[in-house]
Amino acid sequence: MKYETVIGLEVHVELATDSKIFCSCSAGSYGTEPNMHVCPACCGMPGMLPVVNKRVIDFGMKAGMMLNCHINRTTTFDKKNYYYPDLPSAFQTTQWFAPIAVKGLVEIKTSTGKKGIRIKQIHMEEDAGKLVHDIREDTTHIDFNRTSVPLIEIVSEPDLSSAEEVEAYLDRLKTLLRYARVAECEMAHGTMRCDVNLSVRPEGSNVLGVRSEMKNMNSIEAIKRAIDYETFRHIDAIENGTEELVQETRRWDDIKGMSFAMRTKETAGDYRYFPDPNVMPVVIDDKWYDGIKSSLPEFPEVRFERYTTELGLSEYDARRLTESIALCECFEAACKVTGNPKDCVNWITSEVMSILGVRGITYDQLKLDGNALGELIKLVSDSKVSRVNGRKILDAMFDDGTVSPAEYAASEGLIISTDTDLIDKVVAEVVAADPKSVADYKGGKEKALMALFGKCMRQLKGNCDPQVLRKALIAKINE
Amino acid sequence: MKLYISENPAAKSADISRRIAADDMILTSSLPTTAGSRMLKGYMSLFGAEVLTRLDNAGFTLAGKANVGEFAVDLLGETSYFGAVETDGKLSNAAAELLKAGEVSAVITLDVNGYPRRAAAQNGLISLKPTYGTVSRFGVIPAACSGDTVSIMANDTAAVSEIFAVIAGHDDKDGTSHPEAVCETAKTAAVPIKRIALPVNLTEGTNEDVKGKLAAFTASAEAAGIEVVKVESDIIAVSNIAWNILMSAEVCNNVSRYDGVKYGYRAENFSGIDELYTNSRTEAFGELIKSVIIFGSETLSADKYNKQYDKALRIRRLIVEAFAELFSEYDAVLLPACSALSYGEEIRADKYAVYTENRFTAPASITGLPAVVCGSVQLIGRAFSDGSLLAAAAKITESEGK
Amino acid sequence: MTLGYLISLEQINQLSLTDRQREEIIAFFAARDAELERLYRFDTADTERMVHVMPIMTVVREDKAVQLFTREALQAAAPETDEGYWCVPRVLE
Repeated sequence: MKYETVIGLEVHVELATDSKIFCSCSAGSYGTEPNMHVCPACCGMPGMLPVVNKRVIDFGMKAGMMLNCHINRTTTFDKKNYYYPDLPSAFQTTQWFAPIAVKGLVEIKTSTGKKGIRIKQIHMEEDAGKLVHDIREDTTHIDFNRTSVPLIEIVSEPDLSSAEEVEAYLDRLKTLLRYARVAECEMAHGTMRCDVNLSVRPEGSNVLGVRSEMKNMNSIEAIKRAIDYETFRHIDAIENGTEELVQETRRWDDIKGMSFAMRTKETAGDYRYFPDPNVMPVVIDDKWYDGIKSSLPEFPEVRFERYTTELGLSEYDARRLTESIALCECFEAACKVTGNPKDCVNWITSEVMSILGVRGITYDQLKLDGNALGELIKLVSDSKVSRVNGRKILDAMFDDGTVSPAEYAASEGLIISTDTDLIDKVVAEVVAADPKSVADYKGGKEKALMALFGKCMRQLKGNCDPQVLRKALIAKINE
Repeated sequence: MKLYISENPAAKSADISRRIAADDMILTSSLPTTAGSRMLKGYMSLFGAEVLTRLDNAGFTLAGKANVGEFAVDLLGETSYFGAVETDGKLSNAAAELLKAGEVSAVITLDVNGYPRRAAAQNGLISLKPTYGTVSRFGVIPAACSGDTVSIMANDTAAVSEIFAVIAGHDDKDGTSHPEAVCETAKTAAVPIKRIALPVNLTEGTNEDVKGKLAAFTASAEAAGIEVVKVESDIIAVSNIAWNILMSAEVCNNVSRYDGVKYGYRAENFSGIDELYTNSRTEAFGELIKSVIIFGSETLSADKYNKQYDKALRIRRLIVEAFAELFSEYDAVLLPACSALSYGEEIRADKYAVYTENRFTAPASITGLPAVVCGSVQLIGRAFSDGSLLAAAAKITESEGK
Repeated sequence: MTLGYLISLEQINQLSLTDRQREEIIAFFAARDAELERLYRFDTADTERMVHVMPIMTVVREDKAVQLFTREALQAAAPETDEGYWCVPRVLE
């Protein structure tokens, strides 16, 4: 018999806010010392009250809109109760009754074509802390930096049927959420995590099989391996009766390449949800809703289309730019200033990307002001600054975001001189000091002219139109 | 007999009219805050309550932290880990005793389940439980958050009004705080109280002393030109049944954080994380709180939620609507605050007596409506009529003999 | 309320009651269940639940990070810490 795999995903995405969801601690928990971003509220002390971070609602709405969801205009928070050392108040504030977004659709592309994946809901919640088990053998160490960092959980319908589709779906989520600038979605940083619900049924059947859930998967490769393994395990159980399948939570061991049933308590699973009396319903009025709606970015494929058709970029260049919305926005702002898309894409894919590489900055982290970049490109294309000095100015703009290319060029003496007296004076000096090169050139050695040209350019600190200098030099020699 | 759990010796020199106490549900950073529980014995908060900051700024001095029942859910304070307060062999209350002894001019209390109103009624004092959301709960030990209200106990209405004027107001740190302008209206006596409803079915089970106080209050009101009309209300009479569901669920949730890990009591002997939790909580919590926890978690369990918790939330709306209907004809509702003016052996022997005795205080707790205890009875008013209630209380109970 | 159910409630709440209190609570629950019948007499099918008693507009906060207290202050009353962490007996994964 042929079988099909039925997969639904619960994807946790950490929102890229500055502060936590209900308190003012920094939300940047990755890679910091333990318990440095903690306050009485997020380490479970009594007396502080939750006050909702507006940007969390903004981002929740944006995520919902990017995934074509219906936004609940009145959204509420609820408490979920359980004991675990990473949960300092013994409850997690989440959304159980009226989540921010419901009923969405995400389109994915795989080798077999396009497919729509339905989104059941997106809810906002606070993250738990981190437990460290490898400092002392008998002790678990607790770090609350991540406690109350805002998350969204994106719950799909069981519409996925292969590891390839899961990968395409996760990629798509990542692209859309990064485009909306709501999240980093980096599995290696823990800013995107995934629970995989999987069952198997005979092909064509519309009855779901027994489901297993694998929690907290944090690498795409592990997810793919786990899906293949679980599919095999389920089919083996059905075909050969190797085990009786039960609905359960399993842990994926990527080193052993196997999943294991997790020990669960009888009473676990009843989280006793109830509405949080301390957080009033969040009512999203038209002004708030429309403001978010109008701030949504164009989708990457729409941009790609526009870049290749309207702006005449090559598919290669358009693909490189649309990898990141930060690159796109910088490019578009620069284009407005210069009116020359090809020039702008050249600068971005060569100079800008090279500096990002050297400095270890990701495309999404690019903070370069596109207007300023446009001004710089224009200075170079208008022959006011040399390309070499242009790169120097760009470096300075990365050092200090307030640098204006024109002012910087002027103050650092990087403007190409149009002072013909100065050029003539330098040319005269160089020619007088190097009669040998002059003689060589006159004797037919073209290279000798380059030596003289280089000397002049050095004395002029590069601030000279090469064509003007060349003309002046030849004229002087031929005098 | 321990009236204070902790004291500020420097307050002795302060003028009595500026000297106040707070019950030990109100957090302070200069003195420990215990919630009357072994769990928080010696607990030093890093910050103090917004109400105390406001009082400090207004020139009041905190004399100490009044003894309180564990998480303020009991009758009068008898479940305090630091001992019950008794006078002449009778159960009393620390806040009330401090006021009667002239130690302080007012006590800031947390009204979770009615104890300040019972204490005021039994001792002939004034207690204002303000409209929910007019006084910040920032820096208050959370118990039943949907009803918890910082309230004021004093010897007379003038002292209560003075404190209320200082502490009422918007606070950004409390997401359930009303805008400033709304809080201001609660301080004025804008709508004079002319007609009072007395739901007689809610006076059932009160003893002769309480009935006598109700009659005396009615007579004084009428003498002051205020009409008192007998009514009935079935739905208000079940307030405490619904409130016990909501209150215990919320308290259960709020005290889950006390687990011996981050601060507070940790058991000496345990093996493994579950024993650490269980031994710490079992040793540090008293019996009433344990019953609240069990009751509250049952009511939230998946198979009981709709039948109990959700039902109680809907009943709450019916109660609010029943009050609104009364307020379309009357300006206030008169209720007893307790079944007796002192608790006898029978009620004291019943560990769970508060779950029924709170039937007088639950109507205002579950609705968030303002309530003033005066003349040993209770007046409940419209939302934001706090000032009007205090003015009526003064007119009715304090006019004689002045 | 059965003893088994009560014990499961104790476990979920990390409590261990004495036999005497178990008896008292089971008796209390019986009385309370009878009381609950008084609630069920009221039809609430068309009544919306009321979580918050006052119609307060949502108060939201601007997204700005502020560190209020140091780790040392937060851990001053901690029963057990090590290298800046709170500590508990090893939790098995």
